[in-house]
Amino acid sequence: MTAELNFEDLKPRVNAIQEVFQQKWERFRYFVLDHSDPKFIEHLKAEWRSGDSLLDMAVEAKDELERLRIELIGKKSELAALKKDVGRIRKEQRGIAGQAVNNLDIFIGNPLRDAEDQLQRLINKLRTESERIDVTLPGRRPRRGHLHPITMLRERIEDIFVGLGYAIEDGREIETDFYNFDALNIPENHPARASQDTFYTTDGFALRSQTSTVQIHAMQRRGAPVRMIAPGRVFRRDTPDPTHNPMFFQVEGLCVDRGISMAHLKGTVAEFLRRMFGPETVTRFRPSYFPFTEPSAEFDFSCFKCGGVGCRICKNSGWIELGGSGMVHPNVLRAAGVDPDVYSGFAFGLGIDRMCNLMYGLDDIRLLFENDVRFLEQFD
Amino acid sequence: MLISYNWLRELTGTTSTPREFRERLTMVGLAIDAVDELEDDSILDVEVPSNRPDCLSHIGIAREVSVIEKSKFSDPQAEISNLKYKVPRTEGKASDFTSVEIKDLDLCPRYAARIVRGVKIGPSPAWLAQRLGALGQRPINNVADITNYVLHELGQPLHAFDLAKLTEQRIIVRRAKAGEQLKTLDGVERTLDAQMLVIADAKLPVALAGIMGGEASEISEATTDVLIESAYFNPDSVRRTARQLGMDTEASRRFERGADCENVLKAQTRCVELICEIAGGVATEDAIDVYPAPLPARTVDFRPAKVESITSLRVDLSEMMRILTALGFTSGESAKGNTLTFAVPSWRADVSIEEDLVEEIARHVGYEKIASELPPSNVSGEYQPTEMKQRSLRRALKDAGFDEAINFSFIDTAHDEQFELIPGLVAEANNVGFVALKNPIIDEATRMRPTLLPGLLESVRHNLNHGIRDVRLFEIGRVFAKSDTGELPNERDALALIATGGATEEGRAQATREFDFYELKGALEAGVEAMKLGPLGFAGDSIKHLREGQSAPIYLPDGTKLGSIGRLSEAIAASYKFRQPIYVAELDLTALLESRECATQYKPLPRYPSVVRDVTLLVSRDVAFQQLRNAVDSEHIADYSGTKLVGTYEGQSIPEGKRSVTLRIEYRSDERTLRDEEVEERHRALIDSLVKKFHAELH
Ligand SMILES: [Zn+2]
Repeated sequence: MTAELNFEDLKPRVNAIQEVFQQKWERFRYFVLDHSDPKFIEHLKAEWRSGDSLLDMAVEAKDELERLRIELIGKKSELAALKKDVGRIRKEQRGIAGQAVNNLDIFIGNPLRDAEDQLQRLINKLRTESERIDVTLPGRRPRRGHLHPITMLRERIEDIFVGLGYAIEDGREIETDFYNFDALNIPENHPARASQDTFYTTDGFALRSQTSTVQIHAMQRRGAPVRMIAPGRVFRRDTPDPTHNPMFFQVEGLCVDRGISMAHLKGTVAEFLRRMFGPETVTRFRPSYFPFTEPSAEFDFSCFKCGGVGCRICKNSGWIELGGSGMVHPNVLRAAGVDPDVYSGFAFGLGIDRMCNLMYGLDDIRLLFENDVRFLEQFD
Repeated sequence: MLISYNWLRELTGTTSTPREFRERLTMVGLAIDAVDELEDDSILDVEVPSNRPDCLSHIGIAREVSVIEKSKFSDPQAEISNLKYKVPRTEGKASDFTSVEIKDLDLCPRYAARIVRGVKIGPSPAWLAQRLGALGQRPINNVADITNYVLHELGQPLHAFDLAKLTEQRIIVRRAKAGEQLKTLDGVERTLDAQMLVIADAKLPVALAGIMGGEASEISEATTDVLIESAYFNPDSVRRTARQLGMDTEASRRFERGADCENVLKAQTRCVELICEIAGGVATEDAIDVYPAPLPARTVDFRPAKVESITSLRVDLSEMMRILTALGFTSGESAKGNTLTFAVPSWRADVSIEEDLVEEIARHVGYEKIASELPPSNVSGEYQPTEMKQRSLRRALKDAGFDEAINFSFIDTAHDEQFELIPGLVAEANNVGFVALKNPIIDEATRMRPTLLPGLLESVRHNLNHGIRDVRLFEIGRVFAKSDTGELPNERDALALIATGGATEEGRAQATREFDFYELKGALEAGVEAMKLGPLGFAGDSIKHLREGQSAPIYLPDGTKLGSIGRLSEAIAASYKFRQPIYVAELDLTALLESRECATQYKPLPRYPSVVRDVTLLVSRDVAFQQLRNAVDSEHIADYSGTKLVGTYEGQSIPEGKRSVTLRIEYRSDERTLRDEEVEERHRALIDSLVKKFHAELH
């Protein structure tokens, strides 16, 4: 048991601690202010000049302050020792001595802790600030590609017709005259057969000028009844210009069964166009002439842009011409091996490129096959 | 076809407005493209279907109008067809002044000539000039204008010759002699071939039959006697000659589609009547009408019930009869059972079967009255067998950053020998028969493409020229080559990819990395995997159009060659002036789609952890990664579960001709956790084996 101490013995040590504090605190004294106080920042900048940024200065100041706190009130500090020694003071003086040491602890500790707290707040604030991001920068994702608008339309058309019970068919792009013309009831000397309008290979085969060729093959293969559409690439000898291409895409449809009438043709085309252009779409049939159908009809649909009031797209008529159709000519049925006395059918055709022009308002259809990335990127 | 509203009103007595006509004629199949409102008339621009040459005249349109406006006429058809023309003064026979000989009856079954003597040639009266002017026809002189007037009125093209200028005043209808010359009325000297039909006098051609007259026999102010020609010429012959000579006239347009052979004399009489009335003169009593083999009258059997079965329209028999009669069809009284027989009017060459009559009735009852309903369905829809795979392929390539291209199917023959073609297209790669177009429309593009690559290279060039340097495209399309048998050409679907520049991010300008071989290979593999096909095999080998050392044939798992992939050869790149590397791939999509699908089979998840060991080998650059991996696989090490590439390195500290390859080998047991020592032992044995096999050093 060590000897008892007097309060007087501790006093110089208390004073000494206080002195050290007062001396070193000078460098931190403004940090008890609110960290947003201009004096706080001014002081930090003045005393911790070496830092690159305000954040560096604050971190440095805080580290230094932390060291000071440990030195002054940490576990191994003189103050800690002093606290221990209070226990050794004579009983009657112990109260007062304890009081004095406690006061010292508060006197030193509070500003130290407050300053540290404010510095930490500043650091947090600065750190958050420095890590603030621009949320409007583009999201990170690799550039994606785009499907050709003709592909997208073809798929949509196929989906609609598969839903209506149709099979999708395709066939050769180079055909014999039989499939391209004869079987379609296009007479020997019809202008369409002239090499003016149809491409021929040097071996005398034709580049198909419509995908009806596929219908003949399909009827021969499947027999009647049959329901099918044939989307595909076709060729006509047009010089490329803003409204013509020597190659384009079309869809031809065919429905052959017992008891098929023009009412079914109208119903089918109208249903397709409603699914394609919206439930408000109205379809109009006009008499026309095609060698492979009798009776024949062209169909228009109410302009999807203006709803029939008249606009640039429908040339102020309210109607957009879309395709041809009709009841399959008995000669065509016969050519495909189907008995016209038993079966009847309807057929229709429309241009995918044309739909594409309408839907997207293309002003030059040559763009469809130039594959300019700036064009392709606009779809999908 | 331009139609004067006033003229139509004269013929039909209609009170409908031009606007009302627009709608009504359109709905019977005579679409009105435009209505041009003139000061005292309206001009309707009628789009006449190619099978209705009878509507290329005011009388033809009037006939349709009379059917539409049934209430306004007691018997409109009778009024129109009974138009009687009266020639005021006649004298002498036509044969007193001229003769007609048809040498080629196949091209001209009927030719009629009538003479008017003592005419006074001069300008047309105002009403005539105005009427033609409204239809866009410049007045010439009274006689020529009258022939044009009758053409617009009755649809029959006529021609007036100056009789005095015809050598021996004779008409001979014959094929031209090859090389024969004729200066037509438009002042162009034409050289004829032996297929072209001409009207000649005793010596020379004086007109191109059915197309245009000749300058030498043209009506002039000095003309006093005229020969009025009215004839029927073979449509194909007129079309062929007009096309060949690049001509398109009011006359040729009508003869090409088919004039009315029975209208010949009526139109001529009408013309002569007007000439006598307007230009004076005396007509011959008759015409010389050479028509040795009159066209037979045609009839069509018609079952009224067919109207409903074909169109679903219910039409009273009396209404059917009204429509057909008003259109000029006449029916014999006796109906045999349910069948009526109709005589087809001579101007309706387009009508030959029952369905044609059904259409006549349906369009005049109105297509809008036909119900609209879906057919009863007893079938289910189906896609093409490979459609879903192709959709997966397209979307995988899209996700990999490729835009879909579509190019024309015809390309320049200059590409013929440049590319190695997909193996499925031709039996022997070095003996390709190309498909050529006989009549290309784009000068250089005469070849039906045997490869998609030239089109894609052209597309890349287009983009580079427009300042876009990062381009990735794919195309799916048909390629063509001659078949061995000389039958229809071979057709295959091909898939091609092209990439150049760098990989970019959406909305960011800077490419994150430059494309290389592996980018393209990865995209292709992703596409094939999306179809559940493959995996594809690649082997370093040279390909004609690819750069040596960066090219590979592509194989199916069964070893079938599908196509090729690699960097475009310097020679081809230089020909396009490409300054950045271009990577291309092309394969036989048809064959790929026919290949076997990979089945998905569940494997239980591993129950014990795996142990991985890396090995870095210094090997010759000729040793391929795949050889190394195959070698590891074939060691059959216990609990071996796979090899992955960590990386390859060559350059500093690596001897020339060598490279280092780091592999990560995974070991795992299904029964227990492997101990380090046992893995170590097996791994060491593996390394020893690899070192020996590939003369490798550890690195
Ligand atoms: Zn509109």
